Amino acid sequence: MAGLLAIGLLLAASMVIGVRGVRATRSTTPDFLVASRRIAPGLNAMAIAGEYVSAASVLGLAGLMLKYGIGSLWYAVGFTAGYVAVAALVAGPMRRSGAYTVPDFADYRLGSALIRRLCAVIVLVIMWLYLVPQFKGAGVVLHLVSGAPYWVGVVLAGLVVSVSIAAGGMRSATYVQGFHYLVKLLFIAVPAVFLVVHAGADARASALRMDLTDWGRPLLDVEDSGQPLLATWSLLLATTLGAVGLPHVIMRFHTSATARTARRVAVGVIVLLGLFYLFPAVYGLLGRVFTPWLVEGGDTDTVTVALPGAIVSGTWGSVLTAIVAAGAFAAFLSTSSGLLMALAGGLSHDLFRAGVPRLRMAVAGGALVAVLLSLPAQQVDINVAVGWAFAVAASTFCPLLVLGIWWRGLTAAGAAAGLVVGVCAATGAALASVLTEPEAGWLVVLLAQPAAWTVPLAFLVMICVSLPGRPPQWAESAVLRLHVPG
Amino acid sequence: MTAQRRVRVTSPQTRIALARGHRSLRGLREPQDRPGPGQEAEELAATEAARALFVRQRRLAARTLALLGLLLTGLSGLLGALPALGRLTLGGVPASWLLLMAASYPLLLLIALLHVRRAEELERDAGS
Repeated sequence: MAGLLAIGLLLAASMVIGVRGVRATRSTTPDFLVASRRIAPGLNAMAIAGEYVSAASVLGLAGLMLKYGIGSLWYAVGFTAGYVAVAALVAGPMRRSGAYTVPDFADYRLGSALIRRLCAVIVLVIMWLYLVPQFKGAGVVLHLVSGAPYWVGVVLAGLVVSVSIAAGGMRSATYVQGFHYLVKLLFIAVPAVFLVVHAGADARASALRMDLTDWGRPLLDVEDSGQPLLATWSLLLATTLGAVGLPHVIMRFHTSATARTARRVAVGVIVLLGLFYLFPAVYGLLGRVFTPWLVEGGDTDTVTVALPGAIVSGTWGSVLTAIVAAGAFAAFLSTSSGLLMALAGGLSHDLFRAGVPRLRMAVAGGALVAVLLSLPAQQVDINVAVGWAFAVAASTFCPLLVLGIWWRGLTAAGAAAGLVVGVCAATGAALASVLTEPEAGWLVVLLAQPAAWTVPLAFLVMICVSLPGRPPQWAESAVLRLHVPG
Repeated sequence: MTAQRRVRVTSPQTRIALARGHRSLRGLREPQDRPGPGQEAEELAATEAARALFVRQRRLAARTLALLGLLLTGLSGLLGALPALGRLTLGGVPASWLLLMAASYPLLLLIALLHVRRAEELERDAGS
């Protein structure tokens, strides 16, 4: 019950902050999408981090660690390293382009309606891949704290997120997400410290025991392929470059006043992420001692919420569980609002031209599809699905943005070819890894975490198809504009 | 220029964004009207400066990415190549876990800070 109460309070607080945001919103489309650019840099960095730290970080990271070992922490390193690439490659120029979404940028840079449509479709693919594990997280957490069936949490999360977005848009989302970063940090960090202290010296020692099994190996293997280094590198490539191409991340930089602040905000995000990622590891390490049964019979994604009850009994145990559950709910609420916003933008602006009312309908439609996709996805590991979303972004939008910003020779034909090849290769490989059972070896890695070959392939196709073509005359000025200060 | 001239249709967002930046969409898309004799030299100089800045920024971005790649592959390669790091403990924590859990974040921050500082310097130099 305490868990439900905590989640209820969190929802209420989010709504209040959201409604205050609505009052500040003039209901024009740009305001709805990017909050008028009147957001202070510190708040903006917090909102970005709040949106970025998803169920994958709060629940999935500790769960994957419990299941596969300490090497799962490479996910966190990759998620953070992504912001170094964002600061270096896209934050400033994307802000200067004045385009709000990736399809907008493609239109600005390449002037092709076809590419805009293509990008919008890829936005939908990435966003749904990313939303499903968030809703799954909501379902399992609500089940754990209240006993409600899995689908109740999924439907509830879909409802709450679409109502708050449809009502307030991006401006309210900024305040809510900034608030959610603090909730996540505090509600994960404070119980973590408490649990470490309460677990006792023996448990601490055995949590840190280095044994010779694969669990303690500081590299991440996928599906026992026997190629841990290749798997780790492929994952790092996907997460680092995926952050560059994630549509909801890109959209966030337009809430900065200038390109200079956009870059600085990206650096602020690195600080906030590094701080947060110190804590999920605690749950993974203690989970190995206190809740090993989750690996055999349960869902490892629930370890963060199940752990406090396993270590501390009685009232304090339920209070801690409630706190952590509220933190987890904050994670998927804020991430799903950002995802849904980008998804609705893609649906209503880039596929069909429309204003705010249609955008609201697109929000509801996008959420409905995500909920329906999440219902059969209870067995999917949160981080595996999120890893695919990153891999698709890294193999499509990352090459498009990086080449579009830094190479004047990119042509519309080259971009289109690269996008099609990238999205087909990355989603195809992920599908193949689900549907087939290849023998252990490098093939397993290349299917389950395909970034290692799909990202270079997409870059190569874009460059090779662009080279013989001639970019239009204005291409050079379009590129140079992205780098001129002021 | 006649009244029925075909114009490019763009998304309202792009148009608003470009208008907010006080830039005209036409100037971006189409070759501008021939400038006067005095302006021509000025425009050429501005374009040259922009090109030079672009090349410098691109070199910096490439360097930052290389550093980032070196850090990530280096750290993972090191942990993969030296399993002995797991037997070494620091304050009870295996050294390899400590490297993975905490060491990378300050280094990532450092790389990003160096990049932003240098990029802002380049912009300042180009502006003055």
